[in-house]
Amino acid sequence: MKPILLQGHERSITQIKYNREGDLLFSVAKDTVVNAWYSVNGERLGTYNGHTGAVWCVDCDWDTKNVLTGSADNSCRLWDCETGKQLALLETSSAVRTCGFDFSGNIIMFSTDKQMGYQCFLNFFDLRDPQQIKDNQPYMTVPCSESKITSAVWGPLGDYVIAGHESGEMNQFSAKSGEVLKKIKEHTKQINDMQSSVDLTMVISASKDNTAKLFDSTTLDHIKTFKTERPVNSAAISPIMDHVVMGGGQEAMEVTTTSTRIGKFEARFFHAAYEEEFGRVKGHFGPINCVAFHPDGKRNDRKQPGNCSTFTLRTTSSCPSDSSAEPQRLQQRGRGRLREDSLLRPTLL
Amino acid sequence: MHETMDMADDPEYDEEEPSFSDSEDYVDDIEEDELLSDLMREKPLEADGIDSVVVVDNVPQVGPERLEKLKNVVNKIFSKFGKITNEFWPMDNGMTKGYIFLEYLAPTQAQEAVKNADGYKLDKQHTFRVNVFTDFDKYMNISDEWETPEKQDFKDFGNMRHWTEDPDCRDHFSVIYESGERTAIYANDAKESITVEERARWTETYVRWSPKGTYLATFHQRGIALWGGEKFKQIQRFSHQGVSLIDFSPCERYVVTFSPLMDTKEDPQAIIIWDILTGQKKRGFHCESSAHWPIFKWSHDGKFFARMTQDTLSIYEAPSMGLLDKKSLKIFGIKDFSWSPGDNVIAYWVPEDKDIPARVTLSQMPTREEIRVRNLFNVVDCKLHWQRNGDYLCVKVDRTPKGTPGVVTNFEIFRMREKQVPVDVVEMKEGIIAFAWEPNGSKFAVLHGESPRINSSFYHVKNNGKIDLIKSFDKQQANSIFWSPQGQFLVLAGLRSMNGALAFVDTSDCTMMNIAEHYMASDVEWDPTGRYVVTSVSWWSHKVDNAYWLWTFQGRLLQKNNKDRFCQLLWRPRPATLLGVEEIKVIKKDLKKYSKIFEQKDRLSQSKASKELVDKRRAMMDEYRLYREAAVQTLLEQKDLRLELRGGVDTDELDSNVEDWEEETIEFFINEEIIPLGDLRLLETFMLEFLWIWHLTNSSSFPLCVMCPVHPCLCEVTRPVGVNGGARGPRSESWGSSQIPTFHISDITKTKRARIVTPAAPGESVEIYSASLFITFFLFLDKDSFNNWSFSIFLSALSPIVTSDLAVNPVWVTAGQRGVP
Repeated sequence: MKPILLQGHERSITQIKYNREGDLLFSVAKDTVVNAWYSVNGERLGTYNGHTGAVWCVDCDWDTKNVLTGSADNSCRLWDCETGKQLALLETSSAVRTCGFDFSGNIIMFSTDKQMGYQCFLNFFDLRDPQQIKDNQPYMTVPCSESKITSAVWGPLGDYVIAGHESGEMNQFSAKSGEVLKKIKEHTKQINDMQSSVDLTMVISASKDNTAKLFDSTTLDHIKTFKTERPVNSAAISPIMDHVVMGGGQEAMEVTTTSTRIGKFEARFFHAAYEEEFGRVKGHFGPINCVAFHPDGKRNDRKQPGNCSTFTLRTTSSCPSDSSAEPQRLQQRGRGRLREDSLLRPTLL
Repeated sequence: MHETMDMADDPEYDEEEPSFSDSEDYVDDIEEDELLSDLMREKPLEADGIDSVVVVDNVPQVGPERLEKLKNVVNKIFSKFGKITNEFWPMDNGMTKGYIFLEYLAPTQAQEAVKNADGYKLDKQHTFRVNVFTDFDKYMNISDEWETPEKQDFKDFGNMRHWTEDPDCRDHFSVIYESGERTAIYANDAKESITVEERARWTETYVRWSPKGTYLATFHQRGIALWGGEKFKQIQRFSHQGVSLIDFSPCERYVVTFSPLMDTKEDPQAIIIWDILTGQKKRGFHCESSAHWPIFKWSHDGKFFARMTQDTLSIYEAPSMGLLDKKSLKIFGIKDFSWSPGDNVIAYWVPEDKDIPARVTLSQMPTREEIRVRNLFNVVDCKLHWQRNGDYLCVKVDRTPKGTPGVVTNFEIFRMREKQVPVDVVEMKEGIIAFAWEPNGSKFAVLHGESPRINSSFYHVKNNGKIDLIKSFDKQQANSIFWSPQGQFLVLAGLRSMNGALAFVDTSDCTMMNIAEHYMASDVEWDPTGRYVVTSVSWWSHKVDNAYWLWTFQGRLLQKNNKDRFCQLLWRPRPATLLGVEEIKVIKKDLKKYSKIFEQKDRLSQSKASKELVDKRRAMMDEYRLYREAAVQTLLEQKDLRLELRGGVDTDELDSNVEDWEEETIEFFINEEIIPLGDLRLLETFMLEFLWIWHLTNSSSFPLCVMCPVHPCLCEVTRPVGVNGGARGPRSESWGSSQIPTFHISDITKTKRARIVTPAAPGESVEIYSASLFITFFLFLDKDSFNNWSFSIFLSALSPIVTSDLAVNPVWVTAGQRGVP
């Protein structure tokens, strides 16, 4: 199966996200650009321009009206998805690491980094109250003095936020009171990424300790562990199958001295119940930074530094074949460099 | 005086000085020792002076008339050691008693006097015995009765060889991982190894097994500890600060430890030989460098051990640890030596010295009889390789023969079991990378050549001394040879720099049983029975993917064990078999009978294991399903809440609100290829001709449609997309010269469309948009049809047909895919 290669970033990708319907894909990178793509063929819909630093996170609300981005330029910005207009600029005192819309799309949360003498905060704004935006005054801000938040997702129904920390612990912060509802520590090292299942009942955490773990969103009960030999940068749960996909690889620091073979930059598919790897997709020549499943479950996108490549693939033979899963290789007009085909052709196991 | 006056005038000095004295009720609670410990140490102590008194015996008994003279003589002798402050000559009936007391100024002087004047011969009859006075007290107090030493309880560590009694014949191995934090002992099993013991910080560096597997030695800053028995209890400790290397005697009676610290002139402690059973230090040795460990090489039975120094070979005897025959062998220029693993025979070699050729000598111990001397010429280097039973000795000789450039290697094979020890020579043409004897056979394997052209060769030493080359493999990825301990099978491994290539060879018929790879493998270890072999990537040599893999002797991969920061795997050696030659023969004869039993056993355990696996997976799946069902149940219960939050829109399924969707057709530029056309004017002419035809046959409204006369294709022309914001659909106006019409060519049987854009002006390139669909249209001008003012569109396969006789290059067109909502 041929991947679709998207080229729209000049520096490494930090996060990618589909909207709920899956027709659009948002990508952010360490350059300042926020890209929106048609997921069907990789055509770029447009960009959201305004950030002046690396963009760490992106989220889109359920009806694809607004897009939220957080950046190292100490700001979190709200955009109109269709027009690309900047609706709000929320300035912070340190870099914004994670952001997200709640289930209703009315409340946004974002966390800031512990840096430049500022500690890590988790901020909540209610978009229905324009005063909060105008005054840049969140209705609630929760300080996290111990270990900074590296990844966060909303729980179901928007009652709480599940945050993964640098220390490997995970906390549930109430969106009403800000108090810590639940606290667990299953990972020994930093949590690099957290993603919810499509029905929001489960979350998967990807950690530097070479594992990804599956949790129940509500109880934070540990359900499954998926082990690899390399740090896991990102993990996603298939919306239709009992599968998870994980991406990672040798840390960029060490890659320069070792071959791609040692790096293990493949995307790995695990069975959620058996915790066993059943498939691997090769093709990347650097660590995978982010993986995302298309909401219809038939496609899965992986991102790595440098270029932004979308892989269209069937995860199992049981998936019905449709035109979008047909082999195709598309390229953008007059943008980016042309990559050699052979490097990008994934091998399905 | 003058100055002080000035100071007094200075206003600053008017200020009252702070008081440093203690307040009245202050109680000093600091001891003087604490406060002035350094000074107090030198505080003079009261002494009764006894320490400074010496007693001199065997002084001549003299009367008063000669006393003065004797006193002068004695004083002369004893005042050499210090000033005599007091002397006492006991008298009896006018005669001296024959002993005197002398008091010195200091005890050190008394000690000096004892050291030097004791045994001083005054004359033939009188030899002084000098003692410190206090010694008398000490020796007086020794009890006259013999006190029997307390009996030490015999510590029972259980069966020290219990692991050999395992019914499934599982071998033990030790594993160090987490960069040395944890050490574990496993019992090997083809399916999954069983943990026997696991401890944190068991050793500080690495571990060693004793040669028969009885003890496990762990290394610590303060010494060595030996562990054994069923529960791996500590059996013995040897305190040797900073110990870094150890070596067991083959009989497991002694252990030799080396520490780079702690060596002093008086007390040799660099190397210590210990008795394992008693834990006693048997002897210490000096050692300058540990470069060639083991420094002491043991004979096969552990009765002798030898060490080589400059021009000397010292052979020691156990258990006395003294030099054999109280002297070392003087061998000028000795370079290397080695004990036979089967007999008390020592082999050594000396290089050429002027006119004397280089020599390899085999010497019987302890008789020191030379049983074979082999003279060699133009020798650069020699290496001694013994076959494990001591049946053969191979000396690898690197020579620079006269008249030929470079180094030539010979193997000199000594057949030890035959009279006179005959020697045969195998000449090798290439450089030798590795050499290894079959452990209990008469074959040897050689890796030779230069990377990347490395060959492996297998030789067989026949009884008549003929050495046959059995087989040679070329282009091998290998730098090490690992024979199975039982012989016959071997692994050729390309360790480290060769990425861990592995070749499993059966030397009975010299077949490659398997070729495999363990990427970046650093070690290969055969189990003591030769059934399994382990390859590993140690954290000590490579920092990622540390793991050990278990293979069968045939090269079938059984297990991959990834251990975090895995360092070292060592198989526990087995003691020599207790079976005699005859008994082994009987077993070999009945092998078929046994194999049936084992096969049955294997089948049973296999079906059990697969059942277990199925059960385990089923349980995992059930558990997961149960969880999912519960989660989905809660999800359904919360549906109302969700609807409320999203303003009544049901978003539970991707297409649950499909009726709200607006369908929109979007067209994309999917791909572009730029192909320069040979004669653009012609194409343009063709297009214009086409339009002209259309003009004649149709109305002037868009789109124009023409059926291809040859193929089921439809050609339509629309206003260009992207010129006026991508206007689509019919337009009832003609185009100007600046606007470019778009041609859509549709395969009506497949309902796919393609698009061609004609160049704006001659000399510009033509843009053709194509998507990667399979049907490719092929458009060209037929000369005749051109002449006939008509055109053709052909459907073709993917490969372009070069139409060089035509004026227009083939134009690639593929059907574009319509946008999907």
